[in-house]
Amino acid sequence: MLNYLEILDRANDGPYLTEENWDLEKVAMTTKRLVKKYKIEWNPNEIVTDDPALSEAIFKAGYELAVTLGAYSRTTGRIIEISRDEIDEGIRTMPQEVIMGEGKDARTLHARRLDDERPPLFFGGSPGTPVPERMFLANVMSYMQEPLIDLATCGTLVEVDGREVRTGNPIEIVSTRRELQYMRQGLKRVGRAGMGMLAAQSSVSELGDLAVAHPDYLRPCDSHLVPVLNELKMDHRNISRAVNSLEYGMINASLPCVIVGGLGGGPAGSAVVNVASYLIANITCLADYHILHPIHVRHIATSTRDVMWVINATGQAFARHAPSVIVADIYPKSGAGTKELLYETAANSIVNAVSGNHLEGCGSADGNAPNCSGLEARLMAEVALATHRMRMSLKDANEFVLKLLPKYERVFTQDGNPGRPFDQVYDTVKIQPLDFWQKMYEEVKTELKVMGLKL
Amino acid sequence: MPENPQIQAIVAAVVDGDPDASTEAVQAALAADIDPLSILNEGLMTGADEVGRLFERGEYFLPELMLAGRALRAAMEVVKPVLLEKYKGGDSQVKGKIVSATVQTDIHDIGKNIVSSMLTAAGFEVTDMGVDVPIKSIIDKAEEIGAQAICLSALLTTSMPFMKDLIQLLNARNIRENYVVLVGGASVNAEWAKHIGADGTARNAADAVKLARELVTN
Repeated sequence: MLNYLEILDRANDGPYLTEENWDLEKVAMTTKRLVKKYKIEWNPNEIVTDDPALSEAIFKAGYELAVTLGAYSRTTGRIIEISRDEIDEGIRTMPQEVIMGEGKDARTLHARRLDDERPPLFFGGSPGTPVPERMFLANVMSYMQEPLIDLATCGTLVEVDGREVRTGNPIEIVSTRRELQYMRQGLKRVGRAGMGMLAAQSSVSELGDLAVAHPDYLRPCDSHLVPVLNELKMDHRNISRAVNSLEYGMINASLPCVIVGGLGGGPAGSAVVNVASYLIANITCLADYHILHPIHVRHIATSTRDVMWVINATGQAFARHAPSVIVADIYPKSGAGTKELLYETAANSIVNAVSGNHLEGCGSADGNAPNCSGLEARLMAEVALATHRMRMSLKDANEFVLKLLPKYERVFTQDGNPGRPFDQVYDTVKIQPLDFWQKMYEEVKTELKVMGLKL
Repeated sequence: MPENPQIQAIVAAVVDGDPDASTEAVQAALAADIDPLSILNEGLMTGADEVGRLFERGEYFLPELMLAGRALRAAMEVVKPVLLEKYKGGDSQVKGKIVSATVQTDIHDIGKNIVSSMLTAAGFEVTDMGVDVPIKSIIDKAEEIGAQAICLSALLTTSMPFMKDLIQLLNARNIRENYVVLVGGASVNAEWAKHIGADGTARNAADAVKLARELVTN
């Protein structure tokens, strides 16, 4: 396996290229060519595809993109060249199982196949969402206490002790340590102290990430994010996160947030870029598992038709051709206290459950506001487990999702649907949903049952 | 679509994002004695508007916007000297100079790139300083080029405070009134813009262009 310091050498010694030319001449043009070469097309009425040939084409195109381009160092303005053999080695050595957490609360994330007998696992939390300190603990506990939730994640502390958190400021060290203190406290209070976490979300720079690499905060059995920048780029700040894990041993979750409508073009190209991003991340991020989080260029949410297609396409491409541990973020447009949030969550859950992914969520209200709660994560898990139990076919999954779309698609043409903050949908002392929110959940669940989901 | 075939060729070149074609089409139009102002407004700007519409409809994506920006820049190199020559103060045909940047500590650029491309397409002279740009550098650049507006982007909530810092620094240097300051990003809203004393924000690139057209005058 490639010595990771070699990646640093290549970022320092590779060929120079302007970033604009990387974006346009390399990423955009090569992707466009490959989409044409492999005849990849998306159909807005076939969000969950049942087409092995299409899946193979998407994987081959992504593989060719990764081998052709490698990665780009934004810090040095140089190309990080990666050989075909190294990409192949990355695929061969990609972990098939990742154990997170410890003791009775440990869980094994496995590389899922399409017909996998094992159900997906669930990370509960609103990843990256700004959450005020006063409601942070109660918010994370609302997910941790859910019996179906296997692993914990969280939002971002945007202030500590009344001081705003700024990127790159030493206060990021304080905020990230505080976040982990709350997380560990929350896990103990719900009786699941050994539950694995994906955390250190409160620091955008590497400062906080480095500051919590300690058994009192983020344990070696927990994971942190190593982002891939848009598209196929790294920088030294993010490479530092991977380097820091070399000896300490934290689990690395690669995070390429491919923009659907960005440099890859439409959904077809974006799926190709997402595949390439994982193949690159195997090497540049030392990825133990991958986060699947395509972002809609205008709507952000993961519940649009085109983004769900990309989720389905990327998940299937790996499940069929290079099984890897993939955890898909659910980022609905709507926020807590709205029925649309629950419909969006259900649609995303079904797509992920049949596409070979594990699930994480929900980043309700686009992850822009603390309008999120454990209740929608409960539904996320219930729907995905029902889908799995029913052995729902790809075709049936598509039909189900097409029936859900009219129930919420209007939120993309209006000015958002943010719902209410956590403390207006939950009793934050008892950490239970307020009656109106519980009732909404029950009503949507009944609707889903009537539609044929065996919840 | 304009009736003049030479103007149509300019529009098509911009929509196709082809810098060679846009340059040639503008040269041909100038050789045919077409008013450079018509070339700008009926040709280049019509093409730019069409690109913006296609993006909003989801038919064009970021690469097409960037390519259209290249085609426009190349064509402007040809037409601008003629405009300056023919019209006294011809520089005023450019709608205004804008400095755009993602503020320091934030490295997200897609949203900023889209807005910069669409502002360029709308006829503004945009100096895009990239990402993670210190606020002092942004102000220095705006002063250097005589910009009328500063457009700031931040995706991260923890980088948004630097927008506030920039406005405070403009105030401290007594040059706040020289600039329209527009802010944008996934977590930026009207409340935040008002809170920090910015002149406005927009929820998408098309609205950002409308706002700039409304507020920025050369």
